[in-house]
Amino acid sequence: MKRSRTAALLLMSTAPLLLTACDRSESASREGLYTSVEACVAQTNDSNTCQQAFAKAQQDAVATAPRFANREECEASYGKEKCAERNDGASHSFFGPLMTGFFLSQMMSRNGVAANGFNSAPAFRDNNGGWQRPATGAGGVYRGGAGTAMVPVNATPNRAVTSSRAGFGTSGSSRGIGG
Amino acid sequence: MRRVATAERPDWRAKAAACGFGFHTIDDAPYWDESAYYAFSLREIENDIEAPSEELHAMALDMVERIVGSEQHMQQLAIPEPYRDWIAQSWRERQPHLYGRMDFAYDGTGPAKLYELNYDTPTSLFEAAFFQWQWLEDQLARGRLPAGSDQFNSIYESLVEAFGTIARGIARPFHFAAVRDSVEDQGTVAYLRDCALQAGIDCGALAIEDIGISADGRFTDLDDQVIGCLFKLYPLEDMFRESFGQHLPHSGLQLIEPPWKALLSNKGILPLLWDAHHGHPNLLPAEFDAGGELPRGWVRKPLHSREGANIAMHLDDGRELRTDGPYRDGPCIRQACHPLTGFDGHYPLIGSWVVGDRACGIGIREDSSLVTQDSARFVPHAIVEEARGVLMA
Repeated sequence: MKRSRTAALLLMSTAPLLLTACDRSESASREGLYTSVEACVAQTNDSNTCQQAFAKAQQDAVATAPRFANREECEASYGKEKCAERNDGASHSFFGPLMTGFFLSQMMSRNGVAANGFNSAPAFRDNNGGWQRPATGAGGVYRGGAGTAMVPVNATPNRAVTSSRAGFGTSGSSRGIGG
Repeated sequence: MRRVATAERPDWRAKAAACGFGFHTIDDAPYWDESAYYAFSLREIENDIEAPSEELHAMALDMVERIVGSEQHMQQLAIPEPYRDWIAQSWRERQPHLYGRMDFAYDGTGPAKLYELNYDTPTSLFEAAFFQWQWLEDQLARGRLPAGSDQFNSIYESLVEAFGTIARGIARPFHFAAVRDSVEDQGTVAYLRDCALQAGIDCGALAIEDIGISADGRFTDLDDQVIGCLFKLYPLEDMFRESFGQHLPHSGLQLIEPPWKALLSNKGILPLLWDAHHGHPNLLPAEFDAGGELPRGWVRKPLHSREGANIAMHLDDGRELRTDGPYRDGPCIRQACHPLTGFDGHYPLIGSWVVGDRACGIGIREDSSLVTQDSARFVPHAIVEEARGVLMA
């Protein structure tokens, strides 16, 4: 057979794809993904919160990371030398991915100052290069053995202040540019 | 190869609406046209389209290796100086590419002849990969095609597989971008993004006009996140001359299609291929155009023309055809005139899809003129094994 056995659609079958699905509402919160405390401080200027967030994420990582019976299974999902043996305290040992970053979110007040308190979560990098975090509710996508379900996050540990836009797209004709 | 008139599916417009295929009719003119299909034999598909596509693809990649080592070739292809090292580096790193489309003149007799490579911003993908596939399945189920009919079209499976293969090499966040107001381009990137998600790659979408730049020269999305990898359905050569283009080589932004595709989506590749493979049955004689009168039997094409714009054709019988367009001033090539064969007054051009490095399907667009332009309609195809007696007739 010279044709695909199936031809599935994930998004297009339900509704036309909307541009920028991200929520652009006014909710004043700040969320970041950081690979180190230093990177977090550089962005937020709040070394106290960054340290606490890192420590809490590291603690949670052991409890919430996916659990695998052996190193091979874990490395199949998270890459070579990206897994460690862990123990749940009841002398059951298992393997889980190493934390490769952490999320920090804070509510912001009107004048742009971070309110007290924060949420943090460990971040893991899967074998495909994508970032993921433990699901907060039910319904995670990736579940490796036991442990919390993981959800993918399309994020980067980098942020930058945009100084201008619309520097691409000025040559486009009225009906597309594809060939 | 035959053109077969057939009954449309009564519900195809509803099916198009259900899968987000919004551009089946463009400016009140039909684009998707299933009042006919092209029937091929398996031998025609495998020997005359599939195998030559894979061979030409390999020849084209070999040529990239030669071009990046030659200032003269870079000059011939009119690659702006500031981008040459960056393009060469992207090839040395073998930055991943996804797809391309070769356009062939083919009528079932003699070898398919390569018109050009659309290796940077090919469109007509969704209709080839998905809607054409659905047409075949529906018409088989309705008994409107001979039992056992097939289609050269594993484009969808190849796309999902290709995304899965390059996933690890895609920087995050990964966004798909196209011109905001182009329904057709938006449809194409929506489909590609759909395939990437099916391969397990989380990814976003934004308009090419919404891309931002930071003070230190990094590209950002609407959320001020630095874009890791951008799939851009937007010509590299246009990006080069727009105001943000200067930042590309030092921004750290990964592009798909990668910078080295600028060497293949350029019609200058055609004379270079002809020089290197003189007399190849699937290539037409080609040379760089030094200006002057266009002799009979030759076609003049700008290096960067798309959608059949600014083509001048001087036929053997002395007739001259010209199309308008925005690509008036740039350098051109000449290619030996090999007019499309008419089927009942329609001129089909075969678009042969290469995903990853695999030839995996075709889509046919037919125009009522010898130059296939954006007015061309997409007509589905089927592989139909014909009874021996019919072949003899």
